Amino acid sequence: MHKRNRLFVSIALVYGLLGGLIAIVRLIDPSLIPGNVPRAHGHIMLLGFILMMIYGIALHVLPRFGGFPLYSEPMADWQLYCANAGLPLMIAGWLGWRDMLVMAGGVLTYGAIVLFGLNMILTVRTKSRTLPVQ
Amino acid sequence: MKIELIVSGCCPFCLEAEKVWRAAAADHGCEFSVMDISRAEGAALAQRLKLQTVPALLIDGTLRAVGVQTPEEALTLLQPQRQEAHDRMQQMGLGFSPDNRWFILAAQAYLMLAGLGLLMNGSFLSDDAARPAFLHLFTLGFMLFMIYGLASHMLPRFTGNPIREGAWSWLQMGLAHGGVIGYAVGYLAGWPTLIVVGAVLAWLSLAVFAYRVWPVLWPTAS
Ligand code: HEM
Ligand code: HEM
Repeated sequence: MHKRNRLFVSIALVYGLLGGLIAIVRLIDPSLIPGNVPRAHGHIMLLGFILMMIYGIALHVLPRFGGFPLYSEPMADWQLYCANAGLPLMIAGWLGWRDMLVMAGGVLTYGAIVLFGLNMILTVRTKSRTLPVQ
Repeated sequence: MKIELIVSGCCPFCLEAEKVWRAAAADHGCEFSVMDISRAEGAALAQRLKLQTVPALLIDGTLRAVGVQTPEEALTLLQPQRQEAHDRMQQMGLGFSPDNRWFILAAQAYLMLAGLGLLMNGSFLSDDAARPAFLHLFTLGFMLFMIYGLASHMLPRFTGNPIREGAWSWLQMGLAHGGVIGYAVGYLAGWPTLIVVGAVLAWLSLAVFAYRVWPVLWPTAS
């Protein structure tokens, strides 16, 4: 498994633990963490945990299931950088009530989503190169 | 797969059949043996099968044909067994282990429970106080359990490194069930303590999952 894909899965686990932790802290004492904590938690879980887990696993398995190598390794590397630059900015924006940060982080996060989507469309394609085994 | 041919030493058709089947067996990696009815073993078998004619063909111990077959007919006769062998190969090592089976099954149950929230409130993101209950039946119950089952199944196969199993998986599962149920019931019933207990249990299940998966991803670091 490519190191970048293992990083995606590992980072997903870290975000999962982090997102759960801030939710628990908020349940115990809402004044401990400032800002829009539920929103930050929701997006740490959905963009950080679930989506990065899917990124790591899909980048590994979809090329194999599709029968073509990954269209572009650099695109996938940039996807990792964008996703992990964007989400912390979004979280900082929500916790610090700064909409501009959420916006900037959102653009980077969306950039990662587009890089992934295009890379997968160009990798999986509509027809397999290899014929099914007879 | 085992192919047996029952022959009689002096019959020319038997020699012909033996040639066809020896080649077919070699092509498909089957065991092949020839038994002569003039020998005790062959005679006993012919009697048991009430054979009237030779050559006679057995595949995996079952009488399948008599007479001489062409190579094409031989291929047709082997087809069901080849398919079965192929299916077995596909299955081998791909099936879910019991713990992952339970994660996937439980995910579907939580999905159906979460769906009730859609019927009752028209949205997962309703505005009432119990909003997090159905939302987390979906996120913790369905999404998280699907990831638990699928990731624990696939990641060790991707990297070739073993995952911590046994008591660890069942502990993770117990914590996750306790977590989702405690959390959801806590919100629906309005018991703040139960919400926190559920939240902590769910988080602990995530921690156990991370502990199990880490050495799969980074074997030397652990
Ligand atoms: C350790 C496990 C988790 C705990 C303790 C937890 C706890 C919470 C809490 C306390 C809230 C705020 C509820 C409120 O007051 O409105 C919340 C909201 C939310 N959670 Fe979780 N949660 C967990 C896991 C997850 C997961 C795995 C996901 C997604 C995959 C998720 C997605 C969300 C979303 C989308 C919201 C709503 C955010 C918003 O209102 O903008 N949670 N969670
Ligand atoms: C580029 C990525 C994303 C950005 C910039 C973003 C931004 C936002 C913003 C600004 C809000 C607040 C909306 C409001 O105040 O009404 C919000 C709410 C929300 N987002 Fe996202 N989001 C992103 C991705 C996602 C994804 C991938 C999911 C789910 C898989 C998600 C689920 C939600 C949910 C559940 C809410 C709460 C809606 C509510 O409270 O009614 N978001 N998001």
